[in-house]
Amino acid sequence: MFRKILVANRGEIAVRVLRTCRELGIRTVAVYSEADRDSLPVRLADEAFCIGPPPAADSYLNVPNILSTAELLGVDAIHPGYGFLSEDPRFAEICRDAHIVFIGPPPEAIEAMGNKARAREIAQRAGVPVVPGSPGPVRNEREAQQVAARIGYPLLVKASAGGGGRGMRVVHNQEDLARALQTAQQEARSAFGSGELYLEKYLREPRHVEVQVLADSRGNAVHLGHRECSIQRRHQKLLEEAPAPGLSPRLQAQLYRAALRLVQAIGYVNAGTVEFLVDRQDNFYFLEMNTRIQVEHPVTEAITGLDLVAEQIRIAAGERLRFRQQDVQFRGHALECRINAEDPAHDFRPSPGRVVSFVPPGGFGVRVDTHVYAGYTIPPYYDSLVAKVVAWGRDRAEAIARMERALREFEITGIRTTIPLHRAILDNAFFRRGEVYTNFLQRRVDLGQLARGSA
Amino acid sequence: MSGDERPSLNFEEIRELVRIASEADITELEVEAGHLRVAIRKTPRASAPLPPAASPTPTPSAAPLEEPSSHWVPVAAPMVGTFYRAPGPDQPPFVQEGDRVEAGQTLCVIEAMKMFNEIPAEVSGRVVRVLVENGAPVEYGQPLFLIDPRG
Repeated sequence: MFRKILVANRGEIAVRVLRTCRELGIRTVAVYSEADRDSLPVRLADEAFCIGPPPAADSYLNVPNILSTAELLGVDAIHPGYGFLSEDPRFAEICRDAHIVFIGPPPEAIEAMGNKARAREIAQRAGVPVVPGSPGPVRNEREAQQVAARIGYPLLVKASAGGGGRGMRVVHNQEDLARALQTAQQEARSAFGSGELYLEKYLREPRHVEVQVLADSRGNAVHLGHRECSIQRRHQKLLEEAPAPGLSPRLQAQLYRAALRLVQAIGYVNAGTVEFLVDRQDNFYFLEMNTRIQVEHPVTEAITGLDLVAEQIRIAAGERLRFRQQDVQFRGHALECRINAEDPAHDFRPSPGRVVSFVPPGGFGVRVDTHVYAGYTIPPYYDSLVAKVVAWGRDRAEAIARMERALREFEITGIRTTIPLHRAILDNAFFRRGEVYTNFLQRRVDLGQLARGSA
Repeated sequence: MSGDERPSLNFEEIRELVRIASEADITELEVEAGHLRVAIRKTPRASAPLPPAASPTPTPSAAPLEEPSSHWVPVAAPMVGTFYRAPGPDQPPFVQEGDRVEAGQTLCVIEAMKMFNEIPAEVSGRVVRVLVENGAPVEYGQPLFLIDPRG
């Protein structure tokens, strides 16, 4: 097992990883930017080292400074959290060269899944269904026209290097295709450094369902069930649950099989998530694989009783999985609400600033992962996630009731948050029936009323 | 690693405390961690006296320390790495306390990723303090020297 782990991240996920390290008896190093000098991870870690000025490019993405810190402080492994360097195959490779263990999959697996067009090809070869579209990247407009003629409109133009909805365009007819290709390419080039595009059929009202997997370096792999992540705003997940409500046993088995086939096909090691779109006829399509711990992993922890970060660390240390598939038991239902520092009254614009009061909820079945405390100033440089509230219940109705109770208790003043939005979702009759799909918010929640209510 | 094996507070943490104490508008700071208690008291004489428990204080100079002035300019580490005062192990330091330096003149090197980066003075003046011990790890933004531009 490792002696000392460096956490190359910030915010709630840094706190999350530090906690598990402490429980495993592993010493910790937090690295931080000048904007995070007073942050909770800096306080919780055994050692803390400043690695750069506030912009992430100069600090949390500053590979030389992070690796120098790791070497100077005698670190044997780095946990990248999510975002930042977590899905950068070059970083994983540099760690390997420096004989520091990267707590995540091998760089080859990150690379294979990081290029979305290539991931599609690999999935197809592994017999995992993909959304009908171009077999790989499209090289020019003519090629795109040919694909469009085959799969029909509406379709999606997507960036190979993309994610989080950026570099993505919905195209409704042939006339708009050329322009969509152009703008998506520009956006992709500036956001990801690559203008490579591919096409996909646009599914109406699909659900976003994902399968959590764990694989060790000895060829053992298990799934830890599925999660529903359909409640999104502008392709950003807001509210997740485990298990996804109302999936037929047959569909669940198919999703698990597909996810594990992909894991095998790319020699995947460590924790990962295989994302699928599911349509109303129970057809499912591979969307992408996230080769890291995910924001919403606590809902899986709640229903399996497993600490996923601890499993990640054990796998990275070369240990064998301590359980087989039949040992994984699912119990109850869990929801997660991502509380962001955003203003619902002003189109969810970021609301950084000083948190005056902060009274998180607690009690049976409630977990709050956060780096925020009263008096903390949320810096404007990073993402707006303030806290993740997770509520567990014996069934979905109990989990919803508990989450409503928790959010009612949660007091945050000084900044605006998305708590009112979550309360509106939990109160929605369609949501309560489990009728969710990726455009749920646009269709079922009156954001205007929410804005007036909280203004 | 200096102080790394200490059970409660390590050298870095103590230095951080010293920095907090010297920057904040306070005269005393006491921190307890495990068996170790560190008390930092600011006296009008020294800018940041190191507690006895910490590793040796930065290179003492022959001349008595003069009182710090607000116009002194700190030279901060532009990267994480190992601080070296000399170009090689058997060579004399680039600068000593009391030396006059010109802007652009090398003050030290920081080794990062097996590369030696020369750190130049940004202003001309006199080196009034060397704040870091030779061979110590430095973090981003850590003050390395104080330069008196009027000196």
